[in-house]
Amino acid sequence: MTALSGASNLASVKAAIRHRHARRGGRAYVVLRWAAAGLFVAILAGLVVSIAVDSSQAIAHSGIGFLWSGTWNPAANQFGAGILVVGTVVTTLVAMIIVVPVGLGTAAFLSELAPRWLAGPLSTAIDLLAAVPSIVVGLWALLVLSPVFANYVEPFFKSVPALGWFFHGPAYGPSILLASVVLAVMTLPTIVALSRTALSGVALADREAAMALGATHWQVVREVVFPGARSGIAASLTLAVGRALGESIAVAMVIGNSPSVPHSLLSPGATLGSAIVNQFAEAEPGIGTSSVIALAAVLLVLTLIVNAGGQALLRGMGPGRLRRRGRDRVTKAAA
Amino acid sequence: MSRRPIVLTLAVGLGLLGAAFASTGSIAAAATSGPAALHTTAPGGPLGPSYDTKTTSSVTLSGAGANSINPFFEKVFYQYHLKNSKSTITYSPAGSGVGISDIEQGTVDFGDTEIPMAAKDLAKATRPVLQVPVDLGGVAISYNLPGVPSGLKLDGPTLAGIFNGTITNWDSSQIAKVSGDKSLPNLAIVPVHRADSSGPGWDLDDYLIKTAPAWALKVGTKASKTWPLPKVGLGEQLNSGVATYVAQTKGAIGYVEYGYALEAKFTNAALKNKAGAFVAPSLHSISEAGSEASDLSATKYSIIDGPGSGTYPLANFSWTLLYKKNPNEAKAIALGKLFDWVVTTGQQYSSSLGYAPLPADVVALSTATLEELQTPQGGPLFTK
Amino acid sequence: MIGAAPSQWPGEEAATRRDWQARERRRPIIQASARRSLGRRRRAGRFVQVLCVLAAAIGLAPLVALVYYTAERGLGGLSWSFLTQAPVPEGIPGGGISTAIVGTGEIVGLALVMAVPVGLMAALFLHERRGRLATAIRFGADLLTGVPSIVIGIFAYALLVRPLHHFSNLAAAFALAVLMLPIMIRADEEAMRTVAVDLWEAGVALGARRSRVARSVVLRGALPGLVTGNLLAVSRGVGETAPLLFTVAAPSFAMTMLIYTDGTQPFPAEQQTAWTTALLLLLFVLVLSGIARLVAWRLTRRAR
Repeated sequence: MTALSGASNLASVKAAIRHRHARRGGRAYVVLRWAAAGLFVAILAGLVVSIAVDSSQAIAHSGIGFLWSGTWNPAANQFGAGILVVGTVVTTLVAMIIVVPVGLGTAAFLSELAPRWLAGPLSTAIDLLAAVPSIVVGLWALLVLSPVFANYVEPFFKSVPALGWFFHGPAYGPSILLASVVLAVMTLPTIVALSRTALSGVALADREAAMALGATHWQVVREVVFPGARSGIAASLTLAVGRALGESIAVAMVIGNSPSVPHSLLSPGATLGSAIVNQFAEAEPGIGTSSVIALAAVLLVLTLIVNAGGQALLRGMGPGRLRRRGRDRVTKAAA
Repeated sequence: MSRRPIVLTLAVGLGLLGAAFASTGSIAAAATSGPAALHTTAPGGPLGPSYDTKTTSSVTLSGAGANSINPFFEKVFYQYHLKNSKSTITYSPAGSGVGISDIEQGTVDFGDTEIPMAAKDLAKATRPVLQVPVDLGGVAISYNLPGVPSGLKLDGPTLAGIFNGTITNWDSSQIAKVSGDKSLPNLAIVPVHRADSSGPGWDLDDYLIKTAPAWALKVGTKASKTWPLPKVGLGEQLNSGVATYVAQTKGAIGYVEYGYALEAKFTNAALKNKAGAFVAPSLHSISEAGSEASDLSATKYSIIDGPGSGTYPLANFSWTLLYKKNPNEAKAIALGKLFDWVVTTGQQYSSSLGYAPLPADVVALSTATLEELQTPQGGPLFTK
Repeated sequence: MIGAAPSQWPGEEAATRRDWQARERRRPIIQASARRSLGRRRRAGRFVQVLCVLAAAIGLAPLVALVYYTAERGLGGLSWSFLTQAPVPEGIPGGGISTAIVGTGEIVGLALVMAVPVGLMAALFLHERRGRLATAIRFGADLLTGVPSIVIGIFAYALLVRPLHHFSNLAAAFALAVLMLPIMIRADEEAMRTVAVDLWEAGVALGARRSRVARSVVLRGALPGLVTGNLLAVSRGVGETAPLLFTVAAPSFAMTMLIYTDGTQPFPAEQQTAWTTALLLLLFVLVLSGIARLVAWRLTRRAR
């Protein structure tokens, strides 16, 4: 065998083996690998190109103002994504307001407070929530949550005087609020799982240092653990936002489908995803279909940007290291 | 590791691939030589005698279109399949708009719409399209008011007020005046419209334009295929979405195909027709509306607000869309025979579902239109 | 630390002594303040603890409610005939979802045939090559995991439905494959990373072909991780609806589509079908995830 025939240099050994491979026909394997990689790149490129090309007709027709022009009424030949972008942003924002405290609190509970026998099964349970198909969440929200919201939850919020600006108008059930709650349920596992990893990843030495200085457990968490897990938590929030932006079926089932400016959280609305679900099949071929695909293009760009940011943050999530300011925090914690 | 697992995987994969292609409608078709007979027994009247539905080859037909006709289509396609197991028919009831756009793009074998395609839509289609009336149904205005029985009297202007948000409560004086019922509850009105473009929405639109000046002013005098989206109430997808919401929400009012309202046991309004009478949707009133139709054609199709003292003003025919020249001859024959059966023998299944049987002259129109089907070469597909 | 003796600063003993004396005089005041602050800090900590427990309970509630309601409403419709009979029209009793179960199996099976080999090969590519191309592809896979499934459905429609002029299970399978591929690639690569690189080098050094090394060393060693990753990708694919919306020929060919169309019907029989199908889907997905997790757990146990 070439490897044992006395070649002293590893590089030449490898070269010899490669040469042998080529003769033996191991080339097929190399070809397959390149083919697979190439296929993947082709699919990715194909996706972007196909969406871009199909939406170009609409952009040419309506101009770039398509992105923020207000009216979406295909029958009247009005194709403006603006109102749908507003709906998407509002539902995502409200969903985040609901899910961030709950998610971070749960993550903190799992990583800091829960005893070992509880933390394992509980975090598995939350992860299983991630596995639930979105259509099942949508079904449950439509048939179980919606009547509860219409009859109890929404009237309750309406009756609180301080929240009047947010909650007024008829309580239908399907509404921005209900859609936001659905999005919150679906993004919760992302936040909990990633934040928990980030929180647990803060070095034990740093925690112990703070404790040695006399900080209570909560102070350790607040001053040392959370800041150390900052990039991981930020990554989880960003990825959750990306997930919320793109969710379409469950939202379409509970949002009430009225592309108009929502005047309260209780009013029906529409998002990019829900509009695509409802309008794609019946869009008139030509400008109609192209406009709906343009909505998909907007959604694609939005989610790509958000997810790229999230992935970058995820990469920056190294082992929890305290920087200078962190050390000062530790000392301050003891005062 | 031996090569066996790889070979096994490949074999399984190829098998699955083959199954998938088979399921998407590849046809082992035997082309017929020369035009076949459409009616193998003499047709005798609208609910003609039993008729030979057998085709010689296995065929899968896929269609999409109006949501409103779905209960009827489900039933007749099921019955047809029982009589002729070689024909498998799938129908996607995603809405009239979907049917039209799918036919225009050529992605289905047949479509169905509550409003026939206009000339400009026909021009967009890749091939010439025939439109065949197959069903007569009505649009019910259903409401959820506990304690209020079916038959609440409403007219065009009142409905217009409800759906454009000027009338907001059930105990409003305007409703009391029209309905003659002063004991309606103090309950907010929740108007539900179709979020997608729909036959029932168009029908209601047409009715309101014809009877309520205020509506015409806002919407324009030409009924659009999509409900004009008022910032009033909420939109639901398809008849089922509207019906589900009305069923679970007190104070809701929406428009659904009568078949759905019947099955869901809704309470429906009695609408004022052209003769001034308040008529509730029923087989009888819808039938009358259908029989009043004269010179029915794909361009003159509206029977909304028609004449007659017992007619229901919100009735319409449902139109199936077929390619005049289907490149797949076996499918063309199967489609022709299917719909010939549907408009004759199949009509017996309509009444139990809330649709009225087609009047005799409309059946004649349908069968005459089916006889216009052509072979890929251009000759007639069936003998007359 | 409070009250500790300062370190020796050469040349400043006088100032040091003065500071130290000042601090010692303030010592009892500082200690009292620290004791009070300890109580306050402890109470703040307890308050936050309660909040966290509350948050965890709220976080768990949707899962519990989901599983409970789906089970409660879906169980009633579950029967052998439900699984084996084809759907029947509204009004005719009986019937089931056999076409949907078979259809889902076909679609997912086809998607696996398309995605698993490509995912494995691409992961091997990433594993064995360093360099900018590999990094770019890895980044691309991460991006693709975040693309909304409805956009993927539109892509599949444009590629396989519109040109071929009919909806098909193949188009649906392609959409699912595109969805699952990036997840599989990343999971496969992570699994391969667990195999020590010197094992790979040893194999190559012994003169084995690269493909042989890949098979015997990398794939065999990474097998549990591969199984876990692929199972999780499958459980994600089985539960997706949006990619199927614009590709299947009819809703009765896929379980998720059936849930969507039947669940939005006002008729109790259809809604029952939707719940029972949802229950089946939920059970299937939970079992798949459970198996994947079990395999991963055994893997980490073995590694210890």
